[in-house]
Amino acid sequence: MTAVPQSTGRELTSPPTDGISNLRFSNHSDNLLVSSWDKSVRLYDASANALRGEFMHGGAVLDCCFHDDSSGFTACADHTVRRLVFNHSREDILGRHDAPVRCIEYSYATGQVITGSWDKTLKCWDPRGASGQERSLIGTYTQPERVYSLSLVGNRLVVATAGRHVNVYDLRNMNQPEQRRESSLKYQTRCVRCYPNGTGYALSSVEGRVAMEFFDLSEAGQSKKYAFKCHRKSEAGRDIVYPVNSIAFHPIYGTFATGGCDGYVNVWDGNNKKRLYQYPKYPTSIAALSFSRDGRLLAVASSYTYEEGDKPHEPDAIFVRSVNEVEVKPKPKMLPNPAT
Amino acid sequence: MSNGQSDPLLQMETTCGSLLYELQIIWDEVGESDAERDRMLLELERECLEVYRRKVDQANRCRAQIRQAIADSEAELAAICSAMGERPVHIRQSDQNLGNLKEELRAILPQIEEMRKRKCDRKNQFVEVLEQIQKLKHELSNSSGYISTTLVVDEADLSLRKLEELQREMLALQNEKSERLKQVLDHLNSLNSLCLVLGMDFKQTVSEVHPSLGDPEGSKNISHDTIQQLAAAIQKLREIKIQRMQRLQDLAMSLLQLWNLMDTPLEEQQVFQKVTCNVAASENEIVEPNMLSIDIITFVEKEVSRLEELKTSKMKELVLKKKSELEDICRKTHLIPETDSSLDIAIEAIESGAVDATYVLEKIEVEIAKVKEEAFSRKDILDKVEKWMVACEEESWLEEYNRDENRYNAGRGAHLTLKRAEKARVLVNKLPTIVDALASKTSSWENERGIEFTYDGVRLLSMLEEYNILRQEKEQERKRQRDQKKLQGQLLAEQEALYGSKPSPMKNQSTKKGPRLSCGGASNRRLSLGGTILQTPKHDMLHSTKATPNTRHAKKNDRLSHDNPTRDDRFQAMSSGRRGLDIAGLPLKPHSLNPTNAHEIELPIMRKPFSPISSTDSSKSKATNILEDLNTKHNEMLQKTLTSNNTSPFTTPSKTISTMDEENRTPKTMAIPMPSTPSTVSVPMLTAITPAPCVPKSMEDEDIEYSFEERRAGFVLPKDHRKSLVQI
Repeated sequence: MTAVPQSTGRELTSPPTDGISNLRFSNHSDNLLVSSWDKSVRLYDASANALRGEFMHGGAVLDCCFHDDSSGFTACADHTVRRLVFNHSREDILGRHDAPVRCIEYSYATGQVITGSWDKTLKCWDPRGASGQERSLIGTYTQPERVYSLSLVGNRLVVATAGRHVNVYDLRNMNQPEQRRESSLKYQTRCVRCYPNGTGYALSSVEGRVAMEFFDLSEAGQSKKYAFKCHRKSEAGRDIVYPVNSIAFHPIYGTFATGGCDGYVNVWDGNNKKRLYQYPKYPTSIAALSFSRDGRLLAVASSYTYEEGDKPHEPDAIFVRSVNEVEVKPKPKMLPNPAT
Repeated sequence: MSNGQSDPLLQMETTCGSLLYELQIIWDEVGESDAERDRMLLELERECLEVYRRKVDQANRCRAQIRQAIADSEAELAAICSAMGERPVHIRQSDQNLGNLKEELRAILPQIEEMRKRKCDRKNQFVEVLEQIQKLKHELSNSSGYISTTLVVDEADLSLRKLEELQREMLALQNEKSERLKQVLDHLNSLNSLCLVLGMDFKQTVSEVHPSLGDPEGSKNISHDTIQQLAAAIQKLREIKIQRMQRLQDLAMSLLQLWNLMDTPLEEQQVFQKVTCNVAASENEIVEPNMLSIDIITFVEKEVSRLEELKTSKMKELVLKKKSELEDICRKTHLIPETDSSLDIAIEAIESGAVDATYVLEKIEVEIAKVKEEAFSRKDILDKVEKWMVACEEESWLEEYNRDENRYNAGRGAHLTLKRAEKARVLVNKLPTIVDALASKTSSWENERGIEFTYDGVRLLSMLEEYNILRQEKEQERKRQRDQKKLQGQLLAEQEALYGSKPSPMKNQSTKKGPRLSCGGASNRRLSLGGTILQTPKHDMLHSTKATPNTRHAKKNDRLSHDNPTRDDRFQAMSSGRRGLDIAGLPLKPHSLNPTNAHEIELPIMRKPFSPISSTDSSKSKATNILEDLNTKHNEMLQKTLTSNNTSPFTTPSKTISTMDEENRTPKTMAIPMPSTPSTVSVPMLTAITPAPCVPKSMEDEDIEYSFEERRAGFVLPKDHRKSLVQI
């Protein structure tokens, strides 16, 4: 094995001054959008390591996503959903929830913005009707509990809430969930992400575990599902289990990275059930992960996620590392498989 | 006399009396007659009376004058007051006379003075407002003449009400003005953005509409005319924009087609990315400065024409490319391309310019379509040929393998080759039927089409025939070898009779097999590398999930036991133990759920990492003893987990889960015996059973679960919500 440079990647200058809630690469460039508890949303050019813009909101920003390369959306703890236009430093209010907005997604398939909030609702917005809630709001859909995580693939939307509920929607018919499920994991859901091939989703919990699920409800389809343990540490005969905060799928190989409160980022091959790579430990919890559009860059938010309350912690930082193909490419079987 | 000096009247009287006395003395001296004296005295009296009357008349006239002045003043005062719409300040009350007329006049004069001043002020105000109004009206109507200086103020009505009215009018005009101004600015803005996109000079465009608009600081002309002209200008520019946009999109389309056709390198495309990304954009989506300027359009036009030229020059290359595509398809379908020469000739013709390249291109494309069609009809048979080829390959491999004397030696991957050999044998047995089926299929194909089925230029049927002959030869060879072996066996038996027993080759094989299977080596490794699956827990499956082994394992057992039934028991114990290293269980498998199995899985819990797996050689009873010990231990641990789950709240994120301890550690250390750099070696996922989701009772007493973010944000559920949650 060749020696791998034990680096954590390039650290971005002028990071947020408080916890990082999410970061995402653009689908068109290496621009990186970062939301933070310091009430700011920042736009970086990850390849040039430069801060391109900054917006201040009325509360902590809990999630963000791109619209196109020049605009994006944010979910804010002041209950508000906003649209930002970067090169004009303009912000429009799309509308409001009754409680902090936890997560936000933009669907390229339908051109809608979907937000999930702690007010136990999901709302769909039309970003073009930017002049008022009554014109931009498409629908409000009650959830069994507070929404904790959302993920989209094609027309499918997976909603994970408190109380371990998982609802699967078809964006074309939002009146009721296509499937109502319970999380396979025993503990609170942290993150849910759909497979890029649209056949299922991965779901992580606060108890160092990730479940791999499939949409296909047939017995054959469901027999493929499984769960595995990760982000744990054995110390003095006791296992310390860390929450798995983030999952990010590689856009090309379909393998995925998980980030936990142990500060590690692991890369997994879900089909062959193998761990492909473990990156060197980061200073503190991994709050968010994102692969760039071509999968050559991985942005890692090393930022304390308040799992143990307010306590002194390492400074918040964003690392951008270039991804080696070896680290993410599924490994072929060791010997030609005799099984046909 | 001294007394008379103090009073002039008295003095005058004295003087009059003394004069009269003097007159009497004079008359006495003169001796005037009494009549004369009386007449003279009467005359004197009359003259005195005349003087008195004159003085009285004069005084009377003066009084009348003063009265008139007072009346005039009062009238003026009243007029001013009424004009200003105020109550008269001074109304003379006749009963409350101030005294004589002069005093009265003195009192009224300052009042009138003040009122005049006020009136003057008021008038100035009016003038000011009226001026403003006039100016605004002028600006709005844009009468090109100067403001008329004549300002007529209606003196009769200077009331505050009127002033307010005028002020209101002024305000309305001002509002209108600002509205117009806004409209103009709006128009200017949109004009500016249009000019920006179209790459036109904004100032010039605007100055054409009205010279005042180009000046960023100065006042703008806001007349209706200007606004209409601005709107017209915007409309015009928008039309130009749409025109140019369509032009640009047409160009972009042809650019894309050309790129596609010629595989233009990305760097070259990059320059026009900006243009091509707008191919489907609508008019208002194009906002980038200079996006639709004439420069850009001509720039793109040039590129298109350059590419067009390039395309014609590259036609030859394209033809060659298509040709290679054709050859590729032929190769894949094992067809011999028809008369290459005709194409070669065509290419030469293109070079010499005799034939149009597009014509050749079309021809090749037709050819490709034809070949594809043919390939489709051949596909069925080709698949079969493929299978046959693979089978033949396996056959030759098997022969090779059978010749290898060391084939049963343990080694890395030995069990795989064994498996492969087994498969190959099955396949080889099927070979004759494959060949027969292929032959019949081919001949029917040939009959149907009336042409020979060729495979890389050789007729397939003749290939099959050849193969059959070869096979028969081999068969004979094999028969010969068997006979020889039999002879050897007889020889061996004779030797046995002479020197005592010797292990038969069969027995030898089985003893060899034992150690190979048990030695961790490759097989163990492979097992542990394979991901271990678990069923995500169902409510009632706490124990049973652990107990079910995985299919692969089961299959393996079946096969091995088939090979060598005597080894079965031992092997099963051992292998299930080994499985425990990395697997916790897998549900939904058609295998028995016997409780001992469940406990066996926990066997490795006690084993230290890297300790030899010698238990396979020990007797089975010994192994079960250990297992029983483990049983109890395992039960205890399970018990512990459940209780700990009950007490520990959900909210502690990094808590310890004791059951996972050993499960986790063992596979980590055992699974990969060679991790020099562990981070790059792929590690199996630790798929393990989740403990049954027994909801801890403490849940109801505990607070509602909150995520880290909710706790950090201090988010608390409203009370009515909380209740419903507890019910859930």
